[in-house]
Order: sequence, then structure tokens, then C-alpha cells
Amino acid sequence: MNSTVIPIAPKAVVAKPGWTDSWFAVRKELTPRSRVALIVGSFLLPILIWCAFSYLPFVWHPMMRISDPGSVSYFAPDMLVDKDVFRDETKTAKQNGTALPQGSGANPIYLPAPHQVAKALYTAFTTAPERKDGQWLHESLWHSVQIIFWGFLASSVIGVPLGILCGTYNVLSRLTEPFIEFFRYLPAPAFGALAVAILGIYDGPKIAIIFIGTFFQQVLIVANTTRKLDIALLEAALTLGAKKIQLLFRVVIPGILPDLYRDQRILLGWAWTYLIVAELIGTSSGITWFITQQARYKNFENVYAAIIIIGIIGLVTDLLLAALGKWLFRWERSPNKA
Amino acid sequence: MKQSISSICKHWLHRLALPLALSAALPAAAAPLKVGYSDWPGWVAWQVAIEKGWFKEAGVDVQFEWFDYVASMDAYAAGKLDAVTVTNGDALVTGANGAKSVMILINDYSNGNDMIVGKPGIKSLKDLKGKKVGVEMGFVDHLLLLNGLEKAGMKESDVTLVNSPTNETPQVLASGGVDAIGAWQPNSGMALKLVPGSKPIYTSADEPGLIYDVLAVNPSSIAAHKAEWQKVVKVWYRVVDYIYDPKTHDDAVKIMASRVGVPAAEYGALMGGTKILKIDEAKTAYQKGTSFKSIYGSSKLVDDFNVKYEVYKTPQAIDSYIDPSFTSGL
Amino acid sequence: MNNPPSLPSHLLQSAAVRDRFTRLKQREVILEVKHLGKQFTSAQGTVTALKDINFKTHRREFVCVIGPSGCGKSTLIRILAGLESYTSGEALLDGEPIVGACAQRGMVFQGYTLFPWLTVKKNVMFGLEMNDHSKTTAEREALQWLELVGLSKFADAYPHQLSGGMKQRVAIARALANQPRILLMDEPFGALDAQTRAKMQSHLLEIWKNIDITILFITHDLDEAIFLADRILVLKAHPGEVQELIEVPVPRPRNFMQITSPEFLATKARLEALIHPPKVEDDDEAQIRPHMIRMARVGDDVEDVE
Repeated sequence: MNSTVIPIAPKAVVAKPGWTDSWFAVRKELTPRSRVALIVGSFLLPILIWCAFSYLPFVWHPMMRISDPGSVSYFAPDMLVDKDVFRDETKTAKQNGTALPQGSGANPIYLPAPHQVAKALYTAFTTAPERKDGQWLHESLWHSVQIIFWGFLASSVIGVPLGILCGTYNVLSRLTEPFIEFFRYLPAPAFGALAVAILGIYDGPKIAIIFIGTFFQQVLIVANTTRKLDIALLEAALTLGAKKIQLLFRVVIPGILPDLYRDQRILLGWAWTYLIVAELIGTSSGITWFITQQARYKNFENVYAAIIIIGIIGLVTDLLLAALGKWLFRWERSPNKA
Repeated sequence: MKQSISSICKHWLHRLALPLALSAALPAAAAPLKVGYSDWPGWVAWQVAIEKGWFKEAGVDVQFEWFDYVASMDAYAAGKLDAVTVTNGDALVTGANGAKSVMILINDYSNGNDMIVGKPGIKSLKDLKGKKVGVEMGFVDHLLLLNGLEKAGMKESDVTLVNSPTNETPQVLASGGVDAIGAWQPNSGMALKLVPGSKPIYTSADEPGLIYDVLAVNPSSIAAHKAEWQKVVKVWYRVVDYIYDPKTHDDAVKIMASRVGVPAAEYGALMGGTKILKIDEAKTAYQKGTSFKSIYGSSKLVDDFNVKYEVYKTPQAIDSYIDPSFTSGL
Repeated sequence: MNNPPSLPSHLLQSAAVRDRFTRLKQREVILEVKHLGKQFTSAQGTVTALKDINFKTHRREFVCVIGPSGCGKSTLIRILAGLESYTSGEALLDGEPIVGACAQRGMVFQGYTLFPWLTVKKNVMFGLEMNDHSKTTAEREALQWLELVGLSKFADAYPHQLSGGMKQRVAIARALANQPRILLMDEPFGALDAQTRAKMQSHLLEIWKNIDITILFITHDLDEAIFLADRILVLKAHPGEVQELIEVPVPRPRNFMQITSPEFLATKARLEALIHPPKVEDDDEAQIRPHMIRMARVGDDVEDVE
């Protein structure tokens, strides 16, 4: 060695950490207060953008809502027209010296304003069904939830054990996974007609689509999670005298449970994304019927209301499951001692 | 709270399972006649009979299932329905693909609800020469377009067809990618609403009888339940009377609007384009003929169209698809 | 480096120590390894991990295995645990060939390998339950073992709540609960800080003294090996072969004061000579030659360069 190492000491400036340091510290946990603020912000921000687009005329508003058609023959009150069309017609009317159309800036029909959606959300739940065989919105939703529940349950009952076995025994993994890899690329909705032919027109085929959409991913993900279990735990169990079946039930399964639980939460989210295609198969039912029908008649505030409801259900379910998971897997907290 | 987790689970499983078990058990229990219907004014009209309980009064056990139109044909083709509400053309298509049916009842013919809608500036079919038209190929409004072009002395090759799903035609027209679209209600109306200044340049009202809307029944169900189907047809004309009676018209519209989930006023405006046939009008339509005034003539023309455009290969035996006896028997 | 004072040979044993070794060798042989070899094929061709390993371990003996990295000491202990296969020779426990893992050969890993979903007590009960003890017996015995390692208070804690040293105590208790014929320990204190490590070493000797257990202990720490072992099996690398079997002349009971005793230092010198022979650079570390640049400024208040 020809020299001693001496690090360059930074010119010591003892600075108070600025807000950029406390908010943008790489991978550092934030204070509880700023966490709450950010959670609120993550919802508030998109809503504010939406409000800006809806209520500030200079932000977008590419259309005109006619208040007085004036002399333009095809204009009618409350009609939405392109600004260009409106301008042209106004010019023509001016040239001809006839009555000018009146109107104000508006957004296209497919972007309703927040208050319209909020109102739709409220009325959707407070309006009784008009027909005897009609359903309240919450009944439609409940029906959809059941489709998800049964599809996901059926998938899990087979998929989770199969995934665990595939992750544990290579022989099963080699036997099943190549085909599953292939099958998971096939679009689940394409099996709609087949599902109807086999399972009828009611909930059967819808549940089947949720099942097909979930199952194949589930096997692969669970198998992968199982493989990630620290092999040293299995070796330790072996040296303690565990036999094959005990290894599976006493080490593999309890060892992967928290990760399995997390996988299931993510997979449940995926199952929801299949709901809309699943419910288009067979008789019209559930929240999808509401969404597609309202979209067909261009009542987009109702469509958005329904979409928001689905989002809320998904979010709340996930939060509850997360809390439950925290309680179930208390042993899994990150170590606070070395 | 001394309830165990397992009993809570059981409780919820029951809550989830009961409705499901119920809905699964229903069709097996009494095996009613199962009819698939969908969003078209002439078919939504069945809702009046359902709402009023007239089938029960008539002593016939019918179960109507609400579908998307295409899904209803799929379900019928899969043998899950005894009958389905379709256009006469689609009855032929479904039949040619293996799910034969017999049209025992004519609900209506389209009288303006099917439209070719031109964007602003397009005032007639002649203006479409060399332009693009968005239609769902092989479906009724493709036929409507060809029928119109022929009348205007034009050929299909005079326009460029852009295949577009019917329920997306309003957006297709609004996008400016095409100069006209062909669609049925509510899509055609939505297109008019979405593209100000657009006009219907040719509609089914210009060729009444081009598109008949019918109740198409599985032949084996007819054989097994002839009397019941007769009762169903009878109930239909009670509905027709209810709709045409000025005293009850509004109530009928209200019931129908509730089925599709729109305000009654909005729905009432759509109904004008659908000519629901009274019984003698239906009887006339069931007489053999070669023009659009007869369902035979209409179906023959659709059959020719379908074969020409390779919707299916072999011409269908039209007569076997039509059974006037249920209507004439009243 | 200061010149070491002249040391006696490590072969020199006091009468008491010699006597101890004589008695030890008269005890029954627990583990016997005969011409053990392991070869495997890799992308680079056939690799000999272990070649012709021979040694015997007597009852209640404490054997340390030491050697440079790549000498296959971990492979050896994993073979003995039944977690890996071997390709030639024999490994016998009580005269019976070793096939697969079983509770007869307990193992303690460097990475603790406690089951995180089980409490400390249940971790210790695990092996007992695997071997068909009733739950009550298992629980009673587990508590006894926890008391032995001084963790009774933590019986209901989860592993994540324990420090590294505590975790390793639980792991030892867990392995011992099965009352194995031999306890295999694969660098068990390698991840601990120096202080905890020293504590654990004394503690392990305490346990070993009080129960009838034979220990095979892998380490790369020379002091640890000398402090703990009756005999040290020195392996060399590429291929892994026995280089020497050293009888440690340091008398028992051991304590940390002995670390400067002539016997200790002599043994250490011998080990050093075996493991770090002069001029032989056997690993990649030797290829790295740092080039030091003085990076302090002239005016900086730092030590001067010598």
C-alpha cells in the first residue's frame, strides 16, 4: 500500500432538511401526516383535473350547447354542436340577416361533469325499479358480486392447490404448466358461446368466464409463489425429520400463505376486470346490463356512476382484505431488531 | 359477539348461495316456454304483457329473458331458448347455421327506425357516390343500404363499405371517418343526436316490409306446445291493442321505457319508426307474395342477399320458416 | 507485523490433554466417513467437489471443519445431513449408511431457518411433532430446551421479534429437541456480530458439556475452531481434500483467557500455515489490486502520509 485513504469531507454545511429532502428521500417512509395527505391527494388530483375540464370553459369545451336555435333549421335547444359548425351557422345567419343562434361552451356528451355523475350516483340508488321484475341498482350490483365470488371461488378451489403442487413437485409443473401457459393467452370471452351451450343462459356461463379468466393465471402465479419459498426452510424441516406430506402441509403451505394471500388479492382484482365481458354472455344482468344499456342511450353520467361504484367496491374490498391479511399474518412483520 | 368465524362464513355462504341456487332451480322446476328478447321497440312491447301478468291470465307459462340481441341469437343457437325475437333475415341466418326456427308471429316491420344517416352536407343517397359508408356487414342495414342504392340507380361498388359494429356507428359517424352510416334504433337516433346537421337519407320507412321483426320458435317446441304458443300469440294482440288504444298508450310506453332504462318521453320518440302490426295487417303480411308487403317476399329477398354476400352458402327453404296459422287462427 | 515469539509445536500436548484424547478415542464411533467423494458436471466439465475424505468422530466429540473457500466444507456437512448426494465412498452414522435427511442428524444453518409463522415454542416443538410425539410431550420438552438456551421468556414470541443470537439459540434448541446422534452446524455464528458470537460460543460449549451430543461444526474462523474443537479437520480446496486432522492441545474447560496461551497460538500458527500458505493465492480476491490515490486537499486537517 502506498497511501492512506482519506475521504473528501463535504464542505460541512449543516442544512436543515428542505421539503424536497423529506418528501423525495429515496425509498424512505414518509411521516404519517404526509402519507394521509398524499392518499387524499391521489384521489383529489384526478377529481380536480376532471372539475377543471368540466367547469372551466377555457380548458376544453369543444362543443356548443344551443340555448336558442335562432334561424338555423336543424338546431334545437339543448343540442350539442361542434364549435366550428356553430361558428359557420352564425356567420351564415349574419350574412342572411336572420336570427342568430345562441349557445354556450360545453363538453361532449361522453364527458359529464362531476356534479352530474354525483347526482346520477345518488338517484341510481334511490330510484325504485319501475318494473315488477326490475331490480334496484344494489340488487344488480349484488348479482355481479355473486358472479365474481363464485367464479373466483371455483377458480381458487382448483387453482390454488394445483399451483401449490406445481410449485412443489417438478413433475406436476412440467406436466401442466406448458399447456396452461398456452391456454392463458386464449381470450376468455371467446369461450362465451361454448359456455352458453354447456352451462345455459343464466349465471353459469358468466361464472365460467370469470373462472377461465382467473384460473390459468392463478395456477402459474401460485406455483411461482410456492417456488419462491426459501428452500432452506424445507431443508431445515427435513433435518428435523419431516416427511413428504408433512413438508407440504407443515412447511410449504404455511410458509407461502402471506404471499398466497397477496396473490389472491391481485387475482381478485383481475377477476373483476372480466366481469363486464362475462356479463355480456347469456341473459343481460348485473351492473354490466346497467352500463351497456345506459351507454347505448348515451346517458354517460349513469355509466360513470356505475364505473365509480365498481371502483369503490374494489377498493374497499381490497382495503378490508389488506387489513385482514395484516391481522392474519402478524408473524410476518418486518424485523425491528437486527 | 360470540359468533364463531365459521358460522359467520356459513351465514354469508348461504346468503350468496340462495339466490344462485334459486335461479338455477327455476328452469328445471316447471320448464316454462323460454323466450329471449332484446332492445327493439317491437320486442320490448312484450314487457307490457309480462308486467301486467297477461300470460298467467291466459294460462300459459312463459319466461322472457332479456338479452343483448346477438347474445340472444347465440343462446337460441345453443338450444337454450324455445324462441327468440329476431328479424326475419336473422331467423334465416340462424337457421342456415343449424338452429332452425319458425316465425309464428310478426311483431312489426321497421318503419324508419333503420336508417342510413348522412353527415351534414349529404342530402341523398346519390351524394354518397365514391364515399364511405359505415355498416355492420351482413346485417339488416347493409341490406337497407343496398336496397336504397338500387332504387337510386346505383351499385354497391359506387360506395366504399366500412364494417362497423352497429352499436358503435354513432361514434364512427362522429369521428368523421365515414360519410354515412347504417344503423337501427337507438343507434341511428344517437347518431343524429351526436352529429348535428346529420340527416336520415334513406330509412326503412322508404321500403316498408324490408325488415320484419318476428317471434321465431324452435319447431320441436311448436310440435310439443302448439296450444301454448297459440296462447302466446293471442296475448301479443292484447299487447298491440293496449299500445294502440289512446287511453292506455302512455302506460304502454312507460312500461316499455322502463325495460330499457330510459325516460318514457325519450322512448316514445323512438317508437314512431316501428310499425307494430295489428292483427289484420299481420294477416296481410302473412299472405304469400313477392314484394316487401309479404313476409315471404321480404324473406326471399333477404335470402338472396345473404347468399350473395356469403352470409351463408345455400338458399333457405323460405316456406318452412313461416307459419301463418297461429295468426290466422285468431 | 511483530515477530511472533517462538512457539511450541501444536503437536505438544500436556499430560491431561493427551489423556483426554486417549479416552476420547476409546469411545464409540458415531460418524465415520470413508473415501467420500463428490463429483458433479457443470458447464465447465466435471468438477470434483470432495475427494477421498476420511475421518471418524467419536461420541461427545466436538469436531470443527475448517478450510479456505471452495474446499467443499459446506458440501461435506450437507452430505452428512442427507441434503446432498455423494458419488463415491461411504458415510456411516452408527455404522449405518446415511440416506436422506432424518432427525438422527440435526442441523443448524447459518441463516437460522426458523419457521417465521411459528412461535419460538412451536418452532422447537416442530421436530418432536414430526417424530410422532404427542403435542403435550412436545410442548413440555420444548419448554425444557428453551430453558436450556435461556429463552423461556420468549416462548410465545415470533422469530421476527428476536435478535440474530436469540434466533440461533432457538435453532439450536430446535435441533437438539430431537435428541439427534450428531449435531451438524454450518457456520452457525457467521452472521453474528463479534460480541454475540463470543457469547454464543461459550454458550454452545456449556450446552455441549451438559448433554450427550457429538458436534460437527463448520467455520472459517480459526479462533472459533480452536476455541470450540477437540479436533480440527482442515480441508484444502480444488479439489476438497483432507489436509490435516489437528488435535487441539488447548486444555478444557476453555475460556477466552486461553486465546493468548502458547498452545492456542501454536495451533493457530499451524492452521494459518495450512490455510493461508504463503504466496498461494487461491481465490479471486487476490486478483483485485486497489490503487490508492490521496484525495485529501493540501490544507485539510488530516493525518500525514507516513
